[in-house]
Amino acid sequence: MTSHDDHHPDGEQHDEEQHEGEQHGELPQGQSREPGQDQGEEVRWEGLSTLSVWASTVVVALFMVPAAIVGTVVLFVVDVSNLWALLPLPATLAFIALMTYLDLLRLRATRYRVTPERMEMRSGIIAKAYRSIPRERVRSVDVAAPIYVRIFGLCSVTVGTGESAGAGGTDQLQLLYVTAGQGERLRRELLRRAAPATGSPDGGEGTGEEEAEDDGTELVRLNPRWFAYAPATTATFGVGLGVIAALVGLNAQTGGHGWQWISEQAGLPSAQEMSSFVMGRLLVVLPVTLLGLLLSGVVVLVATAVETWWDYRLLREQDGTVRLRRGLLTSVSLSVEGRRLNGVVLHEPFVLRSVGGASIRAVATGLSAGDAQKTEAKSRLSPAMPVRRARELGAALMREPDSALDVPLARHPKAALRRRFTRAALGSVAVLALAGVLAWAQQLATESWWNVLQETEAEFMPVPLISPSAEAAPGWGWIAVALLGVVVAFWYAVGSYRGLAHGLHPRYLVVRKGMAVRDTVTLERSSVIGWRVTRSPFQRRLGLADVSATTASGEGLYTAQDVGLGQGLAWADEAVPELLAPFLVRDQGSSEPERPSALP
Amino acid sequence: MNTDAPRLRPPNHRVDRRAVWWWTTRSLAVTVVLTVVPVVPALIWEPVRPWFLIAAGILGGVGLLITVAMPQWRFRVHRWEITDTAVYTSSGWLWQEWRVAPMSRIQTVDTARGPLQRVFGLSSVTVTTASAAGPIEISGLDHTLATEVADQLTDSTEAIPGDAT
Repeated sequence: MTSHDDHHPDGEQHDEEQHEGEQHGELPQGQSREPGQDQGEEVRWEGLSTLSVWASTVVVALFMVPAAIVGTVVLFVVDVSNLWALLPLPATLAFIALMTYLDLLRLRATRYRVTPERMEMRSGIIAKAYRSIPRERVRSVDVAAPIYVRIFGLCSVTVGTGESAGAGGTDQLQLLYVTAGQGERLRRELLRRAAPATGSPDGGEGTGEEEAEDDGTELVRLNPRWFAYAPATTATFGVGLGVIAALVGLNAQTGGHGWQWISEQAGLPSAQEMSSFVMGRLLVVLPVTLLGLLLSGVVVLVATAVETWWDYRLLREQDGTVRLRRGLLTSVSLSVEGRRLNGVVLHEPFVLRSVGGASIRAVATGLSAGDAQKTEAKSRLSPAMPVRRARELGAALMREPDSALDVPLARHPKAALRRRFTRAALGSVAVLALAGVLAWAQQLATESWWNVLQETEAEFMPVPLISPSAEAAPGWGWIAVALLGVVVAFWYAVGSYRGLAHGLHPRYLVVRKGMAVRDTVTLERSSVIGWRVTRSPFQRRLGLADVSATTASGEGLYTAQDVGLGQGLAWADEAVPELLAPFLVRDQGSSEPERPSALP
Repeated sequence: MNTDAPRLRPPNHRVDRRAVWWWTTRSLAVTVVLTVVPVVPALIWEPVRPWFLIAAGILGGVGLLITVAMPQWRFRVHRWEITDTAVYTSSGWLWQEWRVAPMSRIQTVDTARGPLQRVFGLSSVTVTTASAAGPIEISGLDHTLATEVADQLTDSTEAIPGDAT
């Protein structure tokens, strides 16, 4: 297939009107103009699977019919002579039938086909829509099968084009739902330009899966031991706390009666007794609570990781396409065209980093999915795994003998550290001031204040603990906590300064940043489509700048933060020769010969 | 630091002088609105009147200060240049930004004029690339010049094949 560096599909002359190939719009009814039909052979239009409609009908019926029967029975029990009681069942059935009919109409109206040049989709009953994507613009194909769809042998197919989505934000074409065989065939064909669709619309059913297993080299497959990294996040306590907060919230919604009822049934001692019991044995209760929180968090996170990453495999197919498969309940298969994978991110959140784990994400065109969060979820190419393994995977994805993740990185100037110290100092002052105010308030607080606080807390907490512990806390406790905060702030400042770095590989540029989440990004130098340099007043005073490469891939902007201005510009100039050079001057007077401006 | 560390030279062309008046008017309008907002409750509600008047005073004062300083500052920073190979702009005042985009990666070129720009005979040229970093905008150009620039950019980008990603 095409070479890796080739970014311009041969034989394709695009004029400035980039969106010319893609048409959205409404066609007058009855008139079925079909652009892209220029080939002599007619490719058949295919429909979505009607099975999904019947499936949702069955599910809805399972819920609504019993409800209707119960309604009828109840009405009869209330009043035997009431003939209205016969109504719910037929009404429900009519409703379900109508919904199914409308759904079928919608489904019938949606048709798609893949011609050698383009993928086309028609949809809509009243407002007809026609959408067409040139196949050479297809960047990724995402086949997902959530469990409730998979049991019917169906899947959804999302085709990403990598257009920077304008108004409406639809750079995607989605088919809900097609049969697994159709999905697999679409996945294979859409990214294969050399060998276009052979057009056997209903072939390939069931055969696709097995064949796909061995056409390609496996980059990595799941090692169940990696699930041990799943709970290594700051969320572990948070998840447990979330469960407790949800329970407390529920109790507050019942006006506290929920807990009252439970404690009466179980014969628990009163809230005051329990509260004082706990306060008396804080040294035992506190660690046990923390352990409980930790355990519940671990269970939830491991379960999530197993659901997401079960059966995880990453393949490189013969045509260079990178294919990701994963998922227990929702099985996901994502294919990214090889030359659209412009780099990788070594993603190391703090807790994971401290236990030697990392994960790999893609920097690719055509993976955007509406909002940043979905895009981020879609670009994940690996679960948390040992950092050494993640680096190997990154290197394999970049297809370079010496990985861009291993190039020596340059540190940023000490002034960047000074900026972070300034921020830490400001934060510290705020925290100390807050602590001072709280300690002062505690001094002032009278018995009646505490009573009010406790009553408020008792409103929604079954066992009030917060206000008693606040009352019992010594005045210097606030200051101690604040001092701890100050230490953490400065430690964080040093850590985030150490995280800052940038470097160059023969084919990639590398930037690293972050303390809470450290991301090392490699970006193909040929995919840089511009530079952005920003400087705040503070950065100008310290001789720093944020130098960002703009690209069509991934987040679209990758920044070397707080880099020395000269250092950053030299790096950018070297990374993409000739782009920045005409606009740079060297201080030693040997300024570049200025190019003549094209405009007067 | 290295003595031969590179610096960015300012782009060749300034924006139109009338842009100063455009920025002044815009800033003044925002200042007036923000000052009037706390004055309304001050007129209606007696007890809090001094507080709201103080807020209005601060907002108005800061707004006027910005209105006086910002346009001149912006005029010194805002510059643009188009070479055969790239578009180069600088903008901002306190926070400043320099942008470079190669001609070969430009997707669309638009001109736009808001109602206020039209009053001063100005236009903006917006140059879009495939990046999510947002378009490059040259604002405050003379209307005829903006049209020329856009036409020239369109011609140059048309000459270059590829899908600009």
